[in-house]
Amino acid sequence: MTWRDRERDMQEELKALEEIAGHKALGNLTLAAEDARAVWRWGWLDGLLADLRYALRVLRRQPGFAAVAVVSLGLGIGANAAIFSLMDTLLWRQLPVKAPERLVTMDCCASYYSWRQFQARSKDVLEDVLATAGTEPRDLDTGGGPEAGRMELVSGNFFSVLGVSPALGRVLAPDDRDAAVLSYAYWQRAYGGNPTAIGRTIRVGKVPFTISGVAPREFFGVLVGDAADVWVPLAAQPALYPGQAWLDKPNTNFLELLARLRVGVTVERASDALTPLSHAIDLERAGPALPDWVRKEIDHERLKLVPAGKGLSYLRRRFSKPLRVLLAMVAIGLLLACINVMSLQFARADQRRRELTVRLAIGAGRWRLIRQLMTEALFLAVGGGLLGLGLSRPAAAALVSLIWSMGKTPQLPLHIDGTVLLFVTALSVAAALVCGLIPALRASRAELASGLQQGSRSATAGPASRWWSRAAASVQLSLSLVLIAGSFLFAFNLYRLTHIDTGLNRSGLVMLDVDTRGAGYRGAENIEFNRRLLARLAAMPGVGRVSFSENGVFSGRNSNDQMGADGFQAPDGKERNAYYDLVGPHYFSTIGARLASGRDFDEKDNAAAPKVAIVNREFARHFFPGRDPLGQNIYHQRDRKPWQVIGVVEEIRSDVRQKPQRYFYVPQWQTQQDPWTTRFLLRVGNARSGTLASLRAAVRAEDKSTRVISVDTADTLLNNTLDLDRLIAALSFGFGLLALTLAAVGAYGLAAYNVTRRTGEIGIRMALGATRPRVMRLVIREAWLAAAPGIVAGTVAAVALGRLVAGLVFEMKPADPLVLGSAALVLAAVALGASWIPARRAARLDPMVALRNE
Amino acid sequence: MDLLQGTLDMMVLRTLLMGPLHGYGIAKAIRASSGESLEIEFGSLYPALKRLELQGWIASKWDTSETNRQAKYYRLTAAGRKRLASEHSKWAEFVNAVTRVMGPAPGGEV
Repeated sequence: MTWRDRERDMQEELKALEEIAGHKALGNLTLAAEDARAVWRWGWLDGLLADLRYALRVLRRQPGFAAVAVVSLGLGIGANAAIFSLMDTLLWRQLPVKAPERLVTMDCCASYYSWRQFQARSKDVLEDVLATAGTEPRDLDTGGGPEAGRMELVSGNFFSVLGVSPALGRVLAPDDRDAAVLSYAYWQRAYGGNPTAIGRTIRVGKVPFTISGVAPREFFGVLVGDAADVWVPLAAQPALYPGQAWLDKPNTNFLELLARLRVGVTVERASDALTPLSHAIDLERAGPALPDWVRKEIDHERLKLVPAGKGLSYLRRRFSKPLRVLLAMVAIGLLLACINVMSLQFARADQRRRELTVRLAIGAGRWRLIRQLMTEALFLAVGGGLLGLGLSRPAAAALVSLIWSMGKTPQLPLHIDGTVLLFVTALSVAAALVCGLIPALRASRAELASGLQQGSRSATAGPASRWWSRAAASVQLSLSLVLIAGSFLFAFNLYRLTHIDTGLNRSGLVMLDVDTRGAGYRGAENIEFNRRLLARLAAMPGVGRVSFSENGVFSGRNSNDQMGADGFQAPDGKERNAYYDLVGPHYFSTIGARLASGRDFDEKDNAAAPKVAIVNREFARHFFPGRDPLGQNIYHQRDRKPWQVIGVVEEIRSDVRQKPQRYFYVPQWQTQQDPWTTRFLLRVGNARSGTLASLRAAVRAEDKSTRVISVDTADTLLNNTLDLDRLIAALSFGFGLLALTLAAVGAYGLAAYNVTRRTGEIGIRMALGATRPRVMRLVIREAWLAAAPGIVAGTVAAVALGRLVAGLVFEMKPADPLVLGSAALVLAAVALGASWIPARRAARLDPMVALRNE
Repeated sequence: MDLLQGTLDMMVLRTLLMGPLHGYGIAKAIRASSGESLEIEFGSLYPALKRLELQGWIASKWDTSETNRQAKYYRLTAAGRKRLASEHSKWAEFVNAVTRVMGPAPGGEV
């Protein structure tokens, strides 16, 4: 018999009996039928279905409660799933290639020469070595005009080493020169997935390539967060970068190497085996004129192979910590949501006391009741899970675009896969357990007699139930405190970072990054071009002082070298390391840096003049301890030519998250080095976009072929270096606000519940002469009993979790007493404030009305 | 009077030993045979019937009642008879044991 037949049969039977016996004699038939159904659906699944239907009916009768529960759980689960899928994509997922566990990467950066040597001379431990120059934006033209895209220069064995077969056509071969492989996504985008794309021509920049194949759908390369649209062979490097023959230069390290270990070879063994080879290659390419100390340094270096099964990613290191912190935050958020639902369940259980007691009285087992209540909780959690799953993808995408609001958006293969589904399922079940189990256990233990006697209005919860609601409120407050402390911490951190003395004056300071090297200016020509451009910029209306340097300010670019100084004794290595910059005349007065002693560079410090240098205080402290550096000499260890110190400058904090570093500055005109790019620094009266555009125009007017890489104000540049800090501060502020709201709602709920429960008692007290303030104190005291332990526990938890944020906050300790104290204070104020409203209601009770309610 | 768990099942089986009855009939019969002191709520009886039917101790069939109405009648199955026999002896043991523990009523009679 199907359940439908059985149901009809039962209804007919009951109706027949009702006709025979009369309605009164049979009592509540609905309940009888319900319990009978429970009997025949004894089968587990049948029982579950009945429970589900019943749960659905119960929840439909309380749409408000159901909506609040599902939405709060959904938001919590969605946020967790979003962060989880980001972490999975960025930190945990293996590359979709053959045997990713056998892929390793060399520490960093290799030249074409070193790649060829490694490839040829490492066959005993490595199957093969591939090289990639990373992705780079280039216009791609399939015949319909150029469109922005990304290309990746890779060695011809790229696909074969990875073991990736094409979805269409063939992959690159080692002797390819003008073949190109398209990514699946780009093939879909540019050719609509048309197979005739094979053999057609695609222009990368201005260089034509013949499309040989299409990569499989899931393959994005080896750079996580940096997917390419088209892969082209390394042989095309000279064509793609006119005038730059990187392949011929053994010391131009533009490649990342990825190697496949032979089966059975460990990373350790391969590192040991390849270290001598790496030394040999380094010495070969350095040539015979190598100073001894460099030779010694090379000999000491051990080649470090790193497992690369998850691909390479510049994002990974940067975001693994923030993502962990975010995951902790959203996990706490979800826990808060669960506890909120749990508190609601307690309140509902009180309302349903009569129903539950009746069901127990007519013989429903306790287990049966628990199962029913848990089904309701599971229903809510699954609803939340589905909502969360729906939210996770857009939330992750939004987070990604938020993180990279400036610059390029990473091409992350974010998708909801089995891992994420499993995670969401596990979360939903856990949420159901947290928010359902304790209320179900409590509710099903109702005492029959009291539950039946008492009307619902005056049904007072037992002391145990009261204890549970208070505990729930305490836990909620403590978790809230952790989140609020986090948001305070990151807000304080951001405030201090943005208000730090950077050692220069940012107001009206603009940096103009010009690719003079790319335009072909070298040596004396470069100096001459700089001089002309300086004069042109200085002559512009609204422009004050102008200077330049190689690395500029707040740019993240730096140079360092091994240095010596008069009277300084230390072995080569870390102690001799110093950062430096090649700067123009009047550099320090232009950027508004403060000279502690000596003078700034000027036009007379040119190639013909004696070589001079300016050092910062940190440099002076380290290399000239207790001495006046003015007039002393410093040297590059590699040539030991003296540079006389003519000034000491206060530290310029180019990266505010770092402690001040040892820095020295020399006039670019006195070095024989061409700057990587030249960064002009200008003091302008008004840094509006019009002014910035006119600066670009000035460079073009000087030489049309010279590229302006960027024009930014110093404020923007500093802000850009703080993007991650700002993001974390913003997100944690959101979580903190949410936590504060939940804490307020929780505290209000608890106090209101207490007032309702104690209405009679309060009435008696007032009748006996208790004053209104006394009644208020009574209620507030009860709120405080829940809040105080919560705040203490939360403070302890916040201190314990402080370790998690180490490395993300600067200029302050994770367990900053000011942060914790103010967070606790705010939370206490909000919690007490929220219980103030019910307390006032209690104080305004008319004793007569309150007593009559009993 | 409170019912011990399982007692209701036993009494239903015992009542059906006399012959098939419909649900309400069973309730009435138990009340009558207890000398009106056991009031069986239909709401508890009905699920018990379904439980016993599911165990295979009773079977049901639509039939015409003495007042010429259609009703569902329950009768004991062979398995139900066996079950009743074993329940019966267990019950007797239980009553004996409890009686021994309780002894004569205290107080009053010296």
